[in-house]
Amino acid sequence: MAKPIAKLRYDEISEGDEGPTVSHELTRSDLVAYAGVSGDMNPMHTDEVSAKAAGLPSVFGHGMFSMGLLARALTDWAGVGNLTEYRVRFTKQTWPGEVLTTRIVVTGKEQTEDGKRIRVEVGLANQDGESKLAGSATIVAC
Amino acid sequence: MGLERDEVVGMPTGAATIHIERGPVSRFAKGVTDSSPVYQSTEAAREAGFDSIPAPPTFTFAAAHWGTYPEDQPEDPTGGRGNPIRKLMSELMAEGGLVLHGEQEFLYHKPVQIGDTLHQEGKIVDLYSKEAKGKTMTFLVMETVYRDDAGDPVVTERFNLIHRK
Repeated sequence: MAKPIAKLRYDEISEGDEGPTVSHELTRSDLVAYAGVSGDMNPMHTDEVSAKAAGLPSVFGHGMFSMGLLARALTDWAGVGNLTEYRVRFTKQTWPGEVLTTRIVVTGKEQTEDGKRIRVEVGLANQDGESKLAGSATIVAC
Repeated sequence: MGLERDEVVGMPTGAATIHIERGPVSRFAKGVTDSSPVYQSTEAAREAGFDSIPAPPTFTFAAAHWGTYPEDQPEDPTGGRGNPIRKLMSELMAEGGLVLHGEQEFLYHKPVQIGDTLHQEGKIVDLYSKEAKGKTMTFLVMETVYRDDAGDPVVTERFNLIHRK
């Protein structure tokens, strides 16, 4: 029976602590690759001609690519398999050329019947600080 | 608003039997920029506490695109009518406006690993409207549960679409 190894030590984490950030410049190749691995073939993400015909400045990013990028920042820090909840609001579209940076801030911790848990607020923003995702997650700690 | 909450909430959106396979999982991880060896190597996955390579946190959202084969699909809960979300959204879009993926939530009950078979069932769980900045926002919330062969929940997703006009 799988038992993912938790990386965060409950006693060493305090409210206000921040997790490491991940930065990534979004490219059109990312959008094509994500369309392929997810099966989301909406042309607004991959076909510049269609996107411009629809009145958009260019193709734009899949919200679920952004959520996946932010998930990577969480699991890099907490260890794969150590999320119990993860939710986001998609606040703005993402565009090729933007540099997206993740943010993880500890908002609380608690000892539950199921074990030690750390609550975090999470976000993703571009180089100008414009929010793309805002959400929260719960992490298993040891 | 043209849609009645009582008629919509509880509507099934679909069901599928999904096999979790190594190629799709490993490529999906790379597709969200995640180069962790845990998603590529069985040995690294075991060292991280798994029985086999696990799926990244958002994989289930795309899982039905992969590993869904005709020989073991469940009976279609929509009775062949297909996912009602598309029809409901086109009814709203007939009045103009824009449809956006507003929110996404995952609840993780157990790890998803390659070799697993997941049984997916979705339904509409909420419909409501709000007025904001002179616009009407209609929210349609769908819940999808993935269960293992024993019927225990593995992942629950909530997907929230917004029609803004």
